[in-house]
Order: sequence, then structure tokens, then C-alpha cells
Amino acid sequence: MKNTLLRSWTGPLTERLVRAPGEHGLGQVPAALKPDTVVPSVCGFCSTGCSLSVHLKDGEAVNLSANPGYPVNLGMACPKGWEALAPLAAPDRATTPLLRKDDSTLAPVDWDTAMRHFVDRFKTIQREHGPDALAWLGTGQIPTEELAFLGALAKFGMGIRHGDGNTRQCMATAVTAYKQSFGFDAPPYTYADFEESDVLVFVGSNLCIAHPILWQRVLRNKRSPEIVVIDPRTTETAMAATSHFAIRPKSDLSFFYALAHQILRDGSIDREFLARSTTGFDEFAAFLAPHTPARAAEASGIPEERIIELARLIGSGKRVSFWWTMGVNQSYEGTRVAQALINLALMTGNIGKPGTGANSITGQCNAMGSRLFSNTTGLLGGRDFTNPAHRAEVARILELPADTIPDENSLGYDQIIDGIEAGRIKGLWIVATNSAHSWIQQNRCNGLLDKLDCLVVQDMYASTETAQAADIVLPAAGWGEKDGTFINSERRIGRIRKVRRAPGQALADFHIFQLLARYWGCADRFARWESPEAVFHILRELSAGQPCDISGIEGYDHLDTAGGIQWPYANSKFRISNSESPPPPNSTTPQLPDSTTERRLFADGRFHHADGRARFLFDEPRPLPEAPCADFPFTLLTGRGTSAQWHTQTRTAKSDVLRKLYPQNIYVEINLTDAVALGIRANDPVTIRSRRGELTAAAHLCHTVQPGQIFIPMHYRETNRLTHSSFDPHSRQPNYKACAVQVLPAARYRTHSAG
Amino acid sequence: MTVFPPETDETPIDRLLRRQQTLDTPVARFSKEQAELEAPRFRELIPLTAPAPGRQYAFEVDLDKCTGCKACVAACHSLNGLDEEETWRDVGLLHGGTAREPYLQTVTTACHHCTDPACLNGCPVNAYEKDPATGIVSHLDDQCIGCQYCVLKCPYEVPKYSKSLGIVRKCDMCHGRLAEGEAPACVQACPNEAIRITTVDTAEEAARHRNSASGGSTFLPGTVDPGYTVPTTRYTGRPVPADARAADADTPRPEHAHWPLVLMLVLTQGSVGVLAAALAMVDPLPALALSAGLCLVGLKASLFHLGKPFKAWRAFLGLTHSWLSREIIVFGAYFPLLLGALLLASPPAAWIPFAPPGFVFPATMGAALAAGLAGVFCSAMIYHDTRRPFWKLHRSAAKFFGTAWILGAAGALVVAPSLPAALLLIAGTLAKLACEARHFHPDALGPDKPAVGSTRVILCCLLRVHANRLLLGAAGGILLPLLFLAGAVPAAVAAVLAFGLCLSAETTERYLYLRAVVPFKMPGGIAS
Repeated sequence: MKNTLLRSWTGPLTERLVRAPGEHGLGQVPAALKPDTVVPSVCGFCSTGCSLSVHLKDGEAVNLSANPGYPVNLGMACPKGWEALAPLAAPDRATTPLLRKDDSTLAPVDWDTAMRHFVDRFKTIQREHGPDALAWLGTGQIPTEELAFLGALAKFGMGIRHGDGNTRQCMATAVTAYKQSFGFDAPPYTYADFEESDVLVFVGSNLCIAHPILWQRVLRNKRSPEIVVIDPRTTETAMAATSHFAIRPKSDLSFFYALAHQILRDGSIDREFLARSTTGFDEFAAFLAPHTPARAAEASGIPEERIIELARLIGSGKRVSFWWTMGVNQSYEGTRVAQALINLALMTGNIGKPGTGANSITGQCNAMGSRLFSNTTGLLGGRDFTNPAHRAEVARILELPADTIPDENSLGYDQIIDGIEAGRIKGLWIVATNSAHSWIQQNRCNGLLDKLDCLVVQDMYASTETAQAADIVLPAAGWGEKDGTFINSERRIGRIRKVRRAPGQALADFHIFQLLARYWGCADRFARWESPEAVFHILRELSAGQPCDISGIEGYDHLDTAGGIQWPYANSKFRISNSESPPPPNSTTPQLPDSTTERRLFADGRFHHADGRARFLFDEPRPLPEAPCADFPFTLLTGRGTSAQWHTQTRTAKSDVLRKLYPQNIYVEINLTDAVALGIRANDPVTIRSRRGELTAAAHLCHTVQPGQIFIPMHYRETNRLTHSSFDPHSRQPNYKACAVQVLPAARYRTHSAG
Repeated sequence: MTVFPPETDETPIDRLLRRQQTLDTPVARFSKEQAELEAPRFRELIPLTAPAPGRQYAFEVDLDKCTGCKACVAACHSLNGLDEEETWRDVGLLHGGTAREPYLQTVTTACHHCTDPACLNGCPVNAYEKDPATGIVSHLDDQCIGCQYCVLKCPYEVPKYSKSLGIVRKCDMCHGRLAEGEAPACVQACPNEAIRITTVDTAEEAARHRNSASGGSTFLPGTVDPGYTVPTTRYTGRPVPADARAADADTPRPEHAHWPLVLMLVLTQGSVGVLAAALAMVDPLPALALSAGLCLVGLKASLFHLGKPFKAWRAFLGLTHSWLSREIIVFGAYFPLLLGALLLASPPAAWIPFAPPGFVFPATMGAALAAGLAGVFCSAMIYHDTRRPFWKLHRSAAKFFGTAWILGAAGALVVAPSLPAALLLIAGTLAKLACEARHFHPDALGPDKPAVGSTRVILCCLLRVHANRLLLGAAGGILLPLLFLAGAVPAAVAAVLAFGLCLSAETTERYLYLRAVVPFKMPGGIAS
């Protein structure tokens, strides 16, 4: 349409929104952001591992869209993925190293000064207080190559004995459960299992908002599946399910034992599989005798008939898959709960076949990389520090003197915190995690950070709660500003790319480690660690012969052309058996690269224990570490708030779009009945108090939390003031999900400020 | 390549910083590979052909598949190149049900491309266009004057005003994509295929929404009667329980103050009131001067409300459908008439070569007053036409004409202090305060009273402002005229103070009027 005197159909404002064919496999895109080319890069938020097509103009990212050619996300992304570039441009990026001055402010310094201070202070601590006085806390948010470099540099170069990661807060339980049950930390599934299952059982998983792109796979299931959600809250996923079991918080272990009890009683067990592939079932069967559905009904609040009905569904011989997330992992008895699900899968033969499995859905984008290669509580490549053969193997591959490899395991995250409290740990190096917000029982943790002689924080932002407490801040490049690989929940290795220039003097963590190696004086040990891809090849060697063998992956280009590759992907060239447990004779574990896009484990019924058999592990359910009582009558549940929020929000809070998609201020979900009894109206400020701290939040009244329970999202910094330091004894994972609190209407009616 | 080659002058740190700043993405290879892919166009989610006559495109949302991922919002933002803080889609939350059967439902929402779009009907410059072939309601960004009346008119919060651009923008259903057989951004981006484009029969939609036999809502609970604009979006899936409520339904949230509008309304109404008072005066000149002064400032203030004031001359285009257009035209006539009256009332000067006939002055005065009263009525209709309960005609007109009365009487007191002026001021103030007090009468607070939301906003968020309004009104409109009558203070001082206080009181009242209104909207998320 042409402009007339009275009507402007077009003009400069109209042109701002013109769209044009994007080419390069894209549909229409904003004309002003039309790319020269696009490159795929795996998203850096959660473990789904979606591939994003980054739109480049003059070599730099100007926009992105979801990659349609990738087997994980099939052209979809959640809002965090769509907004992945926004946090890179935040004004509070750390752009120079910072050093705490005598007046206790953080002042910019150059890299040389920062590195000298870091090395000098850490070496002084080591000299004065011994090798156990230093520790680091890592992350599941940086590429595997960087995680391995961090772990190797710290332990083999700097002589730091203790390191752990924020993965302790999310995945440790699944790791331990798998290791104990299967003999290796091996999530057995592939995402196609969502589509091929007849019965999907989700436990403590709000997949719809925590992993929305995986929910897509559930909806693609053409088998009209039963979708069972077991969660105290009526979540988005519970609403979308075909049945929801709103069990009482932490009655899960009793509940699953009752299901096993009933399945055993009905005789719907896979005896042939049990005999061939497992050990310990008879003991488990004996243990189950008292764990009747009636008893579980009492514990869980679910009627006995419904429990029996669910047991019959699981025992029906259909393809049943079990999926769990933080509702299981973040528990004081999470390992046994996860194993209760593994046991259900094993006893019904629901493993190694399409649409089955006991499947842990991971949290962070590279939690899986961290599990295998972070060199923290396990030696590189899923090995054990206490095993001399493992140490020798790693020393040989890395060309290191054998005695540089510690012969004992690191302290866990909680033990490092305890060590600081006891004054044993004096120097702490935190990389890409925000402990001051996320660690359980925050008031205690934050008080302890001040006790350190030296706290070094390496992060994209100088504004995190943790960076603000640091003595030295090292500015890091973020996702999109560096190269490397992530491993997703289904064991798929995918590539991330440098598509933006880091601000100021920020450096990729990889480069920071190179620099530190030089300043520490151990660069010669890391001569081969010259680029992320060079390290990837070292990791291939380290993996050879291990269950997580990736020696068949030729390099980064291979990952690109294959659309990511799941481990194991072995190359016979490396298969000089130096592993303690050689592959069982009848193993169908691929000897040669199997290029199938989606692969699951244990199709042959052989597990990674020396005898090839999976174990049944179980324990009596224990009471809540802090049960509700007369003074603290409510149970506090925590969890994800929305799909637009990521953990402590250091990145998601930097996007205007994402900020619109979640409540800016802390709120608490309270059951309407409780609210009426307490005289709380909608939006009233409510004080929530535990034995450890208190917070004030706006009341959101609903039926989706049960009476006697309240829910607060974990993303708000106040939430962990309330949580209770209790841990799973096997995995040392914190029990974030249930503690006892009081709920009090705050005195004043909430007033909105003008504006 | 080694990391620290000893032979170069470059320090290791400089070398790493340089490497960090180098982008070496393999452009050529990926261009080739990606070009071989055909873009996914999601054709199965859009109609195969353009709508037949009598039909139009519409969004269809399967609520069973909308599970709260909100990818549609972010994808719309990125694929349409919106400004950093701008979003055209939103996702709200409905909740309800019972303790035994809780209900929770996320609701994705964008423009409903109504068959009778309120935005289009309200626009004074015809910056909206409903495409006759597709029914898509699009916005002409270069035609927009940034008056934001569409923002008030749309009951679904669709048009979004950009302060930096000075215009509103909105969802155009990606019409350019549809024209090429490609799905809109939100449709492409929904992992669950919850959003699709269908065609609907416009007459059927109007009948369905306007003649609903059941009397129940034919749209989502808590939204405006869909008969108002006839939205075309269809929400399918499990029926939404009638008692479901938006997560933000109980959150009192004051609206924007729109200060230029506050001043424009109060001052133009004051001007008309003073003009009316001038009619009764022996020497109308000072009153006319005051009236003209108030009007001038008021109209000037209104320009500050516009993002693109230089395009406002086209405001007559909407005369047939927009009360804003009518208001602009009527006040556009009022001001010259008022100036004419002022000139005619002035002592003959050298520049008037002859004395006009005697009927000209009263005719001009009369015409000006008629225009002024029509203008105030148009102002009231602008707000009434949004259908917001707090702005219904009886409330708006009472307030607007009340302001004219009060400021007319107070103005009269200033220019020609008199007993009737003082009594009229007291009477007007009492009447207006009584009117406003009715919001707080227990009867008005019942759940079925439509303006109860506004009362709640005042009670919980604007109570101090409301108290100020009462104090200023009582002081300026009652106490000072009484003091004047009693002769307790010098007449001039009392009059000027009364006028100043009344002006402040009316301005405060108007601020409350704009801030305490509760707009219609789609369900929002948990309030923050």
C-alpha cells in the first residue's frame, strides 16, 4: 500500500518490524537481523541439551532460533534457550579481575596482579596449613573440557585435595544410586523412550516447566500412554497427567516399597530377567514383606486401592518407564528412593528395552560431563581415586608422575563447608556457582564464607551474592563466548561455540586455567591441554575402555555432523583392555561405533558390576529429619518456579523477556483452607519462619499445595534461609525439599508503592 | 599453536585476551550445510488456503497442551525482532477447583484479532486496519500518534506502548509468514503444538458471543463480556471450570496515572465551568481570560501525552467511530470560539476597525459554551467507551461536569467574589464528594458490584492520595467559601486559596480516577 496524505502505510517505524526470508534453513526472520550464516550450539542452561541455531552476522551472534535438525529438541526451545544471548550483554558482567582492598571494597586490577595474589595467597595457605586447607567448588555449567582442566589442574597441578561441584546439590543422588545398582553412573535411557513407553511414571519431576522440551517428547508418544505423576503438589505436569498421586512429602520410599510388595504378591515379576541379570532379589523380597499397601496408605495419604491399582499398572507387562528429578534427588534418603525406582524397573524387567528404564533426568547443562570428568569425588573418566590401577592408568595417559594423583577421595560439598566451619579449610575457589544463594541453610553458609582467609570467585558476573563476598573475582567468559562440549541427560555429547566476544578482559574459564597453571608453575604438566578440542582428545583417551567410552568420536566436527553422539561410542583402536572389568563375553556394548542416533543401555541385560549383574539396594524408610511439630506445623516444599527461571537467576534475571515471565518478588503458595484458618488473604505478606531463619513473602492462595504444606520457589535468594542442613548419607546431597516452618500473617496489609 | 610461545613479545595474558576476542566460526561450511535444509514451516498447523469470504484467520489454543513453558512468548520476541522489553504474547495462569480436585491451567494469549476490534474503533487516526481478506487486525506504525487510547480500549491488554518509539505496536499474526505458507512465530515455537491458526466464520462468532443463550461466558472466566469486541481466538480442551480465577485476580494494581490526561481533563473542564460562570457576569472579561488560560494549558498538556504530536493533525479521521477523535475536534472548535469571545469582550482596540453587531458576542459565548459542554461530554464518553466499570458514563460524567461546576464556581469567586458563587461552590463540592463517597458504601463493596475492584485499589494502594483528595476538597470547596461568607479572611485571599485548593483537589481526584480503574485483561500470572 502506498502512503497518502492521510494514511501512512509504511515508513521508518513500519520498517523496523519488516521480516525477510532468513535462508540458511531458517524461515522468515527480522530483516535487520538477517544472518550471514547460522551455527549450531547446544544450550547452556539445563541438561535437556537442546541445539540452538545461532544467527551470525559478521561472525558474531545477532539472534538465535531452535535448531530443527537436532534429534533432542526437534526445532524447539524453552524461553531460556530463546533468550540465551540476552544475559551476555548484561551491564553487571565482570569485565576485569577484582581484588578486595584494605577498605574492604572490590577494586579492579589487571590479570597479572589478580593471578599473583591468587597464587601467593593459596600457596601461603598450603604452606602454613597443609594440603587439606584448600578446596574448590565447581559447577555443572561449564564445558567438560574446562571441568576436566579445572579438576586436573587443581589436583594434579596445584595440589588441592578437595573439590566438589554444585552438582552435589542436584545429581549426586542419581550418581550414587546408579553406581551402587548398576556398577557405573549410567543413566540408561534415550529420549526416544518418552515416545515409546506405555506407562510413564514421573516422580518429583515437574517436567512441563523444568524440562519443557522433554514434555514435547511425551506428547509425541503415539501409544496413548498412561502418565502417572507422583508429587505432593498439583503441578503443571500433574494437571497434564492421566493420574496424580499427591503423596505426603517424603513418604515416597514407603510408597514405592508398597508398589514392589504388591507386584511381588501379584507375581508380575520378570523371573527370567531377575535370574539372569540381577542379584539380591530374594533379600529384597524378604524385606518387602511388611511394606504393605495398607502401611504405605497410612504414610502417604493415598488410599490402598489406588496403590494396588498403580502396582498392577506397573506390573501389567506394558512398557513402563520411571523418570525422576529433584523431588527424589534432594532428599535425606534420596539414594534409596532412586533405587526403589530402579528396583521396580529391574523386578518387572523394564530396563534395556524401548520405552522402559529407571531414568534420572538431570539438572544442569553439563552435570553429566561433571559426573564423569570433573575429577572431584571421582577420578577422571568415572574412575576411583582409591583404586591403584585407575590411578596408574590416568597417570600414564596424562604423562604424570603417579604420585601426583591423590589416593583418597575429595571431601563432598557439605564436608568442605564443615571444614570451613571447623577452621580446617582456609582457602576456597568457587567457579561458576552461587553458593551464597543456593547452599542449604544459607545463613550458616554465608557466615562461613567470611571465615576464609581467601575466597576466589570465578564467574560471569561480579554481582552474584557469592562474588560480592570474594577476596578475588576472576571475570569469566560465558556460554556463547567459548568452545567446548556438554553431555546431556541421555548421555549425548554436544558442542558449544564461541559466537560472541567476551566483555572487557573476561576470559574463558579454559584460558583462566591455562593462566593459572603458568602462574602456579605447573604449566609443563599441562602442555597438551592447549585448546578445548585438544582436551577433548585427552578425554577420549581417558574414556577408552570405560563404560563411558567416547574414543570413537573423531573430534568436534564429528559431533556436528552426527547431531551429537551418545556415550558409549567406542573405537576398537583404543580397546586395549586395561579396564578392571573387561566387557562380558556376551556383551552387545558396541565394539565399533554404532551410529544410531538414539541409543539406550543394558539391552543385553549386562550391567557394569564385575559379575555383570544389577544389585537390589534398600533400607527401612526413616522419619523426616525435621518433621512438622506444634511449633513449626507446616512442611516447606521448594522447587522450580517457572520455565523462565534458572537456579539462582544470575543469568535469567538479566533478560527483560524472561523477567516478564515470572513473579519478580518472592511468593509462597498456601492452601486456601490453611489461609482461611490463619486469616491470610490473597497477596498478604506472610512471614515464614524456620528454626534457622525467616522471610516474608506474598501469599498466593491455591488448592495445588495440600493443607499443612507450603511451596516457595528456590530462585529467590531468601528461600534457603529456611532450609535444613540434612543430607543423604550415601550421596551427601542436601535435603532441600522438606523442613518444618511456621506461617504467620505479617502485620501490615501489603501496600503497593505508587508508580 | 602453542599457548605460550616464548619467542613473541606478546605477554601470555595479552595473547589469551586476543584469542578470547577472536571469533573464527566456520562460516562457509555451515552456510552450505544449512542452506540445504528446508526451513520447517509447520504447514499442518495453519490453514491450507486463505479464508473464504465471511471467514477470517484465528488463533486456536488447545489448553490441554498449554503447559506453561512460555516458549511462544520468547520466540515471538526473537523471531519478530521486538525491542528488548517488548512482548506480544503472554502466558497467564488460571487456578481454582477444590481441595480434592485442584485446577491449574496456563493460558497463552496474544491479540485475538477481534471481529469488532475496540482498538480500531477507538483510534482517532485510523492507525488500525482489519484486513478484509484475512481478518488480521494490524497496526500502522507510521500512522500512529502514540495517544494510547487503543491501550485503554483493548480489553485484552494487546497494544503495547513503547516510550522510546512513541507509538504502540502489536501482534500482526505474522501475516507475512502466513502469506508465504509459514506458521506464525508462536505456532512454530510451541513444543506441544498447542497453538494453531484456523479460520472462523465472523458472523457465527459474533452470534455466539453476542447472543449466548446460556448467559454464561463464551470466553475465558474473568474476562470481559466477549460481545464487546468478539475475539476470534478459540480455547479448546477440557472445559475451564466456571469458578476458575486468574492468579492475579486478587491483586489490586494501580494503573498508570497519565499525568497529561489528568491535567487536560481538569483544566478543560475548569475552563468550561468558568466560561459558564462568565455568562452570568456583568463584566465577563476576567472570567473569559481565566477560562482561556485554563484551556490553553490543558490542551497544551494533552500534547505531552502523545508520542508523535506532530502527526496529531490527522485526528479528525476517526470522527465516525472514535470518541477521542470527537473530543479533539470539539475542543479544537471550543478554544477558538473561547478566544473569539475573549476578544469580543475586550475593550475595542485599534485592531478591531468596527464594532461587531450586538448578537455576535452572546452567540460566540453560547457557541463556545455549547462546544465546551460537548467537549466535556466527549471526554466522559472516551472513558465510558472502554467499558471499564469505574469509568461508566454516570461516574465519569458526574466527575467531569462536577469538576466544571466546582472550578467554575471557584473561578467565579476569584474574578467576581459573590455570595452565589460561594454557595454554588459549597453545593458542588458537597455533591461531588457525596458521589465519590458512594464507592465506599457497603452496598458498593459487594462482590457483584462491578467497580469493587477500584474501591479495593483505592483502599489498599491509594488511601493516602484519597485522604488528600478529601482534605483538599473540603478545605477549598467548603471551609474557605464558609470563611469567605463569614468574612473571616479577606475576600480575595479566600477566593484565590479556594480556587487553588479546588484545582489541587480535582487534580487529585482525577489522578485517582485514572489510577484506580481496573482494566479488563486476560488472566495474568502470579502477581509480583
